[in-house]
Amino acid sequence: MSVSIANPGHGVGGGHDDAHDEVIYHETRDMRLLGFVLFLCSDVILFSSFIFAYIYLRTTVAPTWPPLVGGHQLPRLDTAFATVNSVVLFGSGVTMHYALENFKHANLRRFNWFMGFTVVLGTMFLCGQGYEYAHAQIGGWSGNIFGASFFTLTGMHGFHVFCGVIFLLILWWQTTRGVYDQQHYFGLTAGTLYWHFVDVIWVALFFLFYLW
Amino acid sequence: MATLAPGVKTGPYHAVLDHIHPEPTGFIRKYIFSIDAKVIGIQYMITGGLFFLIAGLLAEIIRAQLLTPNGAVVTAATYNSIYSMHGSAMVWMVVIPLVTGGFGNFVMPLQIGARDVAFPWLNLAAFWMFPVAGVILFSSFLFGAPDAGWTEYPPVSLQGPPGTSMWCVAIFLIGISSTLTGINFMVTIFKMRAPGMTLTRMPLFVWGQFATAALMFIATTALAGALLALFLERTFGVPFYDPKHGGSPLLWQHMFWFYSHPAVYIMILPVFGIISEVLPTFSRKPIFGYKMIAFSTVAIALLGFSVWAHHMFTSGMVPWLQLPFMIITMVIAIPTGVKIFSWMATLWGGSIHWTTPMLFATGFLITFTCGGLTGFFLAAVPLDYHEHGTYFVVAHLHYVLYGGSMMGLFAGLYYWWPKMTGRMYNEVLGYWHFWLSFVAFNGTFMPMHWLGLMGMPRRVATYDPQFQFWNVFASISAFVLAASMLICIYNLGMSLRRGKLAGPNPWGARTLEWMISSPPPYYNYKRIPAVLAAPYDFGNPLPYIGLDAAPGAEEAAAISESHPVPTY
Repeated sequence: MSVSIANPGHGVGGGHDDAHDEVIYHETRDMRLLGFVLFLCSDVILFSSFIFAYIYLRTTVAPTWPPLVGGHQLPRLDTAFATVNSVVLFGSGVTMHYALENFKHANLRRFNWFMGFTVVLGTMFLCGQGYEYAHAQIGGWSGNIFGASFFTLTGMHGFHVFCGVIFLLILWWQTTRGVYDQQHYFGLTAGTLYWHFVDVIWVALFFLFYLW
Repeated sequence: MATLAPGVKTGPYHAVLDHIHPEPTGFIRKYIFSIDAKVIGIQYMITGGLFFLIAGLLAEIIRAQLLTPNGAVVTAATYNSIYSMHGSAMVWMVVIPLVTGGFGNFVMPLQIGARDVAFPWLNLAAFWMFPVAGVILFSSFLFGAPDAGWTEYPPVSLQGPPGTSMWCVAIFLIGISSTLTGINFMVTIFKMRAPGMTLTRMPLFVWGQFATAALMFIATTALAGALLALFLERTFGVPFYDPKHGGSPLLWQHMFWFYSHPAVYIMILPVFGIISEVLPTFSRKPIFGYKMIAFSTVAIALLGFSVWAHHMFTSGMVPWLQLPFMIITMVIAIPTGVKIFSWMATLWGGSIHWTTPMLFATGFLITFTCGGLTGFFLAAVPLDYHEHGTYFVVAHLHYVLYGGSMMGLFAGLYYWWPKMTGRMYNEVLGYWHFWLSFVAFNGTFMPMHWLGLMGMPRRVATYDPQFQFWNVFASISAFVLAASMLICIYNLGMSLRRGKLAGPNPWGARTLEWMISSPPPYYNYKRIPAVLAAPYDFGNPLPYIGLDAAPGAEEAAAISESHPVPTY
C-alpha cells in the first residue's frame, strides 16, 4: 500500500508501523471488494436491460421467432458450435479458479500455467465468437430485431471478455513484478470475480439465444 | 483494538478511518482536481447552480412564448427543443447531481464522522464527467437540440435532429457518473462510519443518501442500456424501437421508466433527509419517529422499482397490468405519508425558530404534499386517461420537483451555507427570497392544474385563447420566481464578501458536522469521535465522545490512549 498515513498514535514523527499498515490494507481491501461487487451488480443491470429488450421484442412484438424477413423465416443459430464455444469459456472459469488457488498456496509454476490456460481459452472464445458472427445467417446487426438483440448482447459480452483478457494479462504482469504476495492479492481476487461474472452472463445468453 | 466506553458498539473500522491523504498545496490540486469530498461537493454545487440558471432561462423563454395564444417569441420547432432541454437539464444536470454529488459529498462524510468518501479518486472522476456531460448537452443547441421532450419517446426521437444523439451521449455520461457516485456512497456508508455509529444512529440525511445510492447504482445502468440502444438505432439503424423494422416504441418507454421512476426518488430521498435535519434543529425537538422515517425511506426506494408503468397507462400497455401498477403506486403514498406526519409531529409543540432554512422546509411540507396528492390522483387509471399529457401533469411534476426537490435544496443550501463558507447570510434577504419564490412558485404552477383539467395539452407552442388568462398569470409569476433567484445570488455573494463569521455551530444543531470549525479543516476531524446515540435528542448532552469541542473530552482522553488518535 503506497498510502501516506498520518498516524502519530502509532508512530510519532511520521514513522510507519507495519502492523498498522497491515490493518489498513485489510480494511481497504474489504472496501474495494464491496465496491467492485457493487460495480458488477450495476453491470448485471446493464445486461438485464438488453435481455429485457430481447425477451420483450420476442414475446410481444414478433409474430414468429426467428422473425420473418422478406417473407422468409430466418434460421436458428448454430447451437452445436455455440455449445463447444461455451465449454471453452466455462473451462476458462475453472482454470481461473485454480490459478487463484495456486497463487494463494504459492504454487507459482502452476499459477502461471493456469493463468496461461485462462487467457488462451478466453481468446479462443473470442475467436469462436468471430467465427460465429461471420457465419450467422440472421441478417446482420441492423437488419432485424433478432440480429439487433443477438449482436448487441453478445457483442457487449464479447467486449467484456476482451476487457477481461486484458485485465488478466495486466494482473499476470503485475504478479511477475511482485505486486502481489500470498497475503495481498486483492487484484487477483477482483480479476477472478470479474471472470466468473462474464461466465455467468454467458450462461444467461446461451440459454436465451441457443436453447430457447 | 480500541477500548471504548461501556455500551459503545464499535463501528467496523478503526485504522482506515484515521487514514489521511496528504493535503495538496497547489491551486489546481486543491480546488480543480481535488480529491477532497468537501471541495468536490462544492464543485458540484457551483456547476449544478450554473446549469440551473441556464435551464431556468429556458423555462423563462417557455413562459414568454405562452404569454399569448399564438406566441411568436420562438418558432414551434425551437419551442420543442427548449422545453426538451429544460426538462433534461433540470433532471440530470441540476437536481440529481445537486442532491447526491453536491450535498451528498459535502455533508454525508462529515455526518458519519469520516475523513473522506471510500474512493476519493473515483469521486474526482465522477465529478468531472458532470461538467463534460453538461457541456455536451447544452452544445447540442448548435447542431439541432433534441425536440421530443425530456423523455425522448421514439419514433419521434429517432427522427429528431443530430443533437438527439448528443443528448444520448450526455445522459449516458452523467449516468456513469451517477452510478460511480452510488457505489462510492454505498461503500462509504457501509464501511466508514465512526465507531459507535450503528445504522440506527445515523443522521436521517445519511439514510436518504444510503437509499439513493442503492437506487443510483441499480437503476442507472438500465437507463444506460436504453440510451445505448437509442444511440445505436439512430446511428447505425440497429432496430429496437422502430416499428417499421419490427421494433417497439413501447420498449423504450418500459426501459426508460424503469430508470426514470426510481430517478424521481433519487431526486427526492436526499431532500427528505435535508428536511429531517432542518426541522428538528429549528423546532428544538427530537425528530418524531426516527426509525419510521428511516425505514420508510428504504420502503419508498424498494417500491419505486415496481411502479414504472404508471407513466404508460395511455400508451397501449396490457390492460390487466394497469391495476397492479395503479395499486402499488398508491401504496407508495403510505411511507410518504408516514414521513409527512412524522415531520408535522416534530413541529408540534416545538420551539420553532423561523430561519430561512426552516421557512423553506415548512414551505416544502406544504408544496410537496400538494404534489404528492396530485400524484395520487394521476395514479388512478380512469383519472389518468383524462389528465395524461395535459398541464395537470406539468403542475404535478413541478410541485414535486420544484416544490419538493428545489425547495428542499434551498433549505439545505441556507442550512449548510455557514458550514461550507464559515459565514452567515442575511436573514432578511433570505426571507425575501423565500416569500417571493414561494408565492411566485404557487402562482406559476397552481393555475396549471386548472389548465390541465380544462384540457390544455402540454408541449404545445400555441394554445386556444380560452386558456390565456391563467397562462399570463403563470408567466408573470414565473418572471417573479426568476427575480427571486437574483435575491438569493446577491445574498450569498454578499455573504461571501462580508458575511458575519458563523462559528462552528450557528444553529445549535446536533449532528457531527456542527461539532467542528466552519469551514471544516481538510481532515474533517482531529479525532474520529465515538457515537453513543442518534443525534436528535435535544435537551440531552451531545452523544459524542472524543471530540475536542464536545462535552466529555476528558472521558475521551482515556479512550485516546488505546484508540489511534492523530495529532497535527
